[in-house]
Amino acid sequence: MDTEFIPIFLFILVAILTAASMLGISAWLGPKRRTLVKQMPYESGMDPIGDARQRFDVRYYLVAIVFLLFDVELLYLYPWAVAQHSATPAVVAVHAEGTPPPPSAGIPPVFRSLVFFEILVFIVIVAAAFAFAWRKGVFEWR
Amino acid sequence: MLVVIGILIKILVVVGITQGAVAYMILLERKVAAYSQDRIGPNRCGSNLVLPGGFRLNLPFGLLQPIADGAKMILKEDVIPSYVEKPLYILAPAISIIAAMIGFAVIPFGPVGTQAPSGVNFQIAPGVDIGIVYVFAIGSLAVYGVILGGWASNNKYSFLGGLRSSAQLISYEIPLGMSILGMVLLAGSLDLNTIVNYQDGHGLWLTRWLGLPAWGVFVQPIGCLLFIISAFAETNRLPFDLPEAEQELVGGYHTEYSAMKFGMFFLGEYLHVITVSYLTVILFFGGWDAPFLNQIQSDWFSGLLKALVLLVKVGLMVFFMMWVRWTIPRFRYDQLMDLAWKALIPIALVNLVATAAIVELLRSSH
Repeated sequence: MDTEFIPIFLFILVAILTAASMLGISAWLGPKRRTLVKQMPYESGMDPIGDARQRFDVRYYLVAIVFLLFDVELLYLYPWAVAQHSATPAVVAVHAEGTPPPPSAGIPPVFRSLVFFEILVFIVIVAAAFAFAWRKGVFEWR
Repeated sequence: MLVVIGILIKILVVVGITQGAVAYMILLERKVAAYSQDRIGPNRCGSNLVLPGGFRLNLPFGLLQPIADGAKMILKEDVIPSYVEKPLYILAPAISIIAAMIGFAVIPFGPVGTQAPSGVNFQIAPGVDIGIVYVFAIGSLAVYGVILGGWASNNKYSFLGGLRSSAQLISYEIPLGMSILGMVLLAGSLDLNTIVNYQDGHGLWLTRWLGLPAWGVFVQPIGCLLFIISAFAETNRLPFDLPEAEQELVGGYHTEYSAMKFGMFFLGEYLHVITVSYLTVILFFGGWDAPFLNQIQSDWFSGLLKALVLLVKVGLMVFFMMWVRWTIPRFRYDQLMDLAWKALIPIALVNLVATAAIVELLRSSH
């Protein structure tokens, strides 16, 4: 495992302990006077009518699905944005047998315009999908 | 082993400082709110203190208010209503605060690497070069805290708040992610230090000609605007605080929460504000870069000075977020979704293509 991620795991551990101790201390120190009314769901002072497990608007699902599509496509653009004009592009020439490859993996200058046009095609496809969802009324909230 | 202890100390310092900062940000928020509305705001806690030994202490501006607030949060009754899904109900505030905290792992609080004085590192995980992607990945985990809290409460207000909030958070995550792609393209890295170093450098032809620094706000003005708008929405700050629109939904997803669990949602929210302010300054306002600061040799003094410059910029950004709260009224829900999907995302796409094309032309011409 790479050692540079150790601080992150340590931080996650510290965060979990902090959250747990906050929950624990608050539960331990606070008073506990349970009454029937206090245990009811809050509905502005009225007795609750039914429970909260009800059907909800289908548009939330639609937005979630469109989000999934776009977020994945967005993630695909990150490596391209890093590599396109990386300060240390990869060497095209084959390096000698046995030596480690150069540490960076930027796009070699010869291929830059080609990759640029390929990414344009990708973005056009994404935009077409976006326009389709728009036409189908996914983003109408009235 | 020694290294691990060193990292642990660093983590604890960061956690302590950020949590203390959050406590005082809440006081600052109340003060800004008060002065915006021509009130005085909290001014009692800390005045006329009688210390043991007969000393009298008079602190201005209610400076001890955060301590009183914190003590109250811990000592209040922790009501768990009997209708809730108990495991998820307890898990939700924990997720919310953990997700807010661990984002700080890759944020540089000052100069790092070659810019920093030797032996000093103002970053918890300096070797991780995926910086922004990590922060965004962790930031989107906060959605789980909100939607689990809203759902597990078994309360109609909470449920509606949780639904609205999750739809809002995921909608604005897309423009947030797209708006920084231009900067990533220019700097050629996801590492936050590299991006700051890029802004310290030459920049584009136009900014050089105008004599401006290569800050993101000058080379990527549209990206900067999109990022700040989306960041407001991601942190549920006021023009976008529909999840807790108190006039319609009481408290939104934390209606049923009390005591420290309620405080943890708050803490998470303000930690997000700090993270977002740091990101905005690092990505678009030059980080620790300031005019004339580069002439100073890299030593302890300049390292601390740069960290201070960054801190001041972040403070200004935090203040800006509080200021906007009392300037712009809340959106309606359909306006909120329209803004994200019909305005920000198309603009972000066009901005990305335009940036890529311009950079392509500039780089191929020489």
